[in-house]
Amino acid sequence: MTRIVVIDNHGQFTHLEGRALRDIGVETEILDNDTDPEEINADGIVLSGGPSMDRVGRCADYLDLGVPVLGICLGMQFMAVELDGSTHSGDYGGYADVTVEILDDEDPLIGSLAPETRVWASHADEVDTVPEGFERTARSDVCEVEAMSNPERGLYGVQWHPEVAHTAEGEAVFEAFRTICESR
Amino acid sequence: MVDAPEFVDEKIEEIREQVGDGKAVIALSGGVDSSVAAALAYEAIGDRLIPVYVDTGLMRKGETESIRETFAFMHSLTVVEAEDRFLAELAGVTDPEEKRKVIGEQFIREFEREATEADADYLVQGTIYPDRIESEGNIKSHHNVGGLPEVVDFEGIVEPVRDLYKDEVREVARELDLEEVIAERMPFPGPGLAVRIVGEVTKEKVEVARDACHVVEEETEEHEPWQAFGAVLGKATGVKGDNRVHGWVVAVRSVESRDGMTARAQELPWETLQRIQSRITGMNENVARVVYDVTHKPPATIEYE
Repeated sequence: MTRIVVIDNHGQFTHLEGRALRDIGVETEILDNDTDPEEINADGIVLSGGPSMDRVGRCADYLDLGVPVLGICLGMQFMAVELDGSTHSGDYGGYADVTVEILDDEDPLIGSLAPETRVWASHADEVDTVPEGFERTARSDVCEVEAMSNPERGLYGVQWHPEVAHTAEGEAVFEAFRTICESR
Repeated sequence: MVDAPEFVDEKIEEIREQVGDGKAVIALSGGVDSSVAAALAYEAIGDRLIPVYVDTGLMRKGETESIRETFAFMHSLTVVEAEDRFLAELAGVTDPEEKRKVIGEQFIREFEREATEADADYLVQGTIYPDRIESEGNIKSHHNVGGLPEVVDFEGIVEPVRDLYKDEVREVARELDLEEVIAERMPFPGPGLAVRIVGEVTKEKVEVARDACHVVEEETEEHEPWQAFGAVLGKATGVKGDNRVHGWVVAVRSVESRDGMTARAQELPWETLQRIQSRITGMNENVARVVYDVTHKPPATIEYE
């Protein structure tokens, strides 16, 4: 069975990421973000959201495990900063209902959601420059980088929360990530 | 989603094993969570479970009577009338977290007395998964997490629904044949109407909140909100007849949700909102205006405090 673990960055929705994976029939476990990378045995990793970039523990190590990584909210922002992209505090916080425009309908993670999808968000900060090797794959009126992808390295990020009930096509994001994990 | 029949069998067996020949108490709130926990424990150990219902005076309209009816089959049910004691403790308290703390502490005092009298070895609690998460994340403290065990020296704590989400608990409630009204009942916060009153809790404000909640629940019923209620915010000016009124502002909230983690403010018809407004201002002379809360969660929480 495909196993995708969730790294807990102290986000209030972390447990819903576990639940979403469980609901699509993937074996999952929620792990503290100071877990030794050598002890992680998984086909894919989800980096959860959280309150602060200072509390992401050993997330940097998990990017080098050779398995696909999906960063959600702060998880994506962390990935951007860690890989030499950048973030800033947005002028207009993204909360609740946001309509996201998909910029690449061939993107393995969110291409199937094109042309647009309605999501639930909760963030003050946002990515402004995506790291080298990444493409910006979605945008909205309140946030210019709603998603980014580096299919070659298997690294993906979404700024919104696919795990919450109010995101219209959240399950499709987890299904797509499962497919990504299984095809590597 | 949880497999309800399997879950019920498994938990009954677990509770039986854990409690053995001992006695257990549970604080019954009338909400789905503690009702399910109590029903599971009652199935497991019968009248060796003593369900204690504390009427804090912060309950919904008709709540205490409906508890007596719904749980009439539990012969050991104990109802404690404690409104005056709670209101006395809450006098002058305005900070939201302090209010929750005061209510939690008074609740513990009431419950401790009952548990000691009952000579209980175990405490059964209806803690569910999001309670633990929100407490861990310090977003809000939940009164059924912590508190009690430190005061009363129980041999153990039984939390049969601790890994479930609200929708799963309801699934289990249906399986347990708990009356439809309990299974489908809207979530009601532990500290009761106190969190639907911004600022100090007084008897007058509680009565307004109670009536507003009743009206909102009735009028929104056909729109099937996940949760709907009225909250007392503060005072503002109005005019009734030819008299100026400086009365309460009641906020109406009606949201759609699956698990309470996120929520969407419902798009209620204007006529529904107007009927709510008319009934609340018409039946409560001390209410000056009624407003509708259009904020989703996030950024707002569902409850006000």
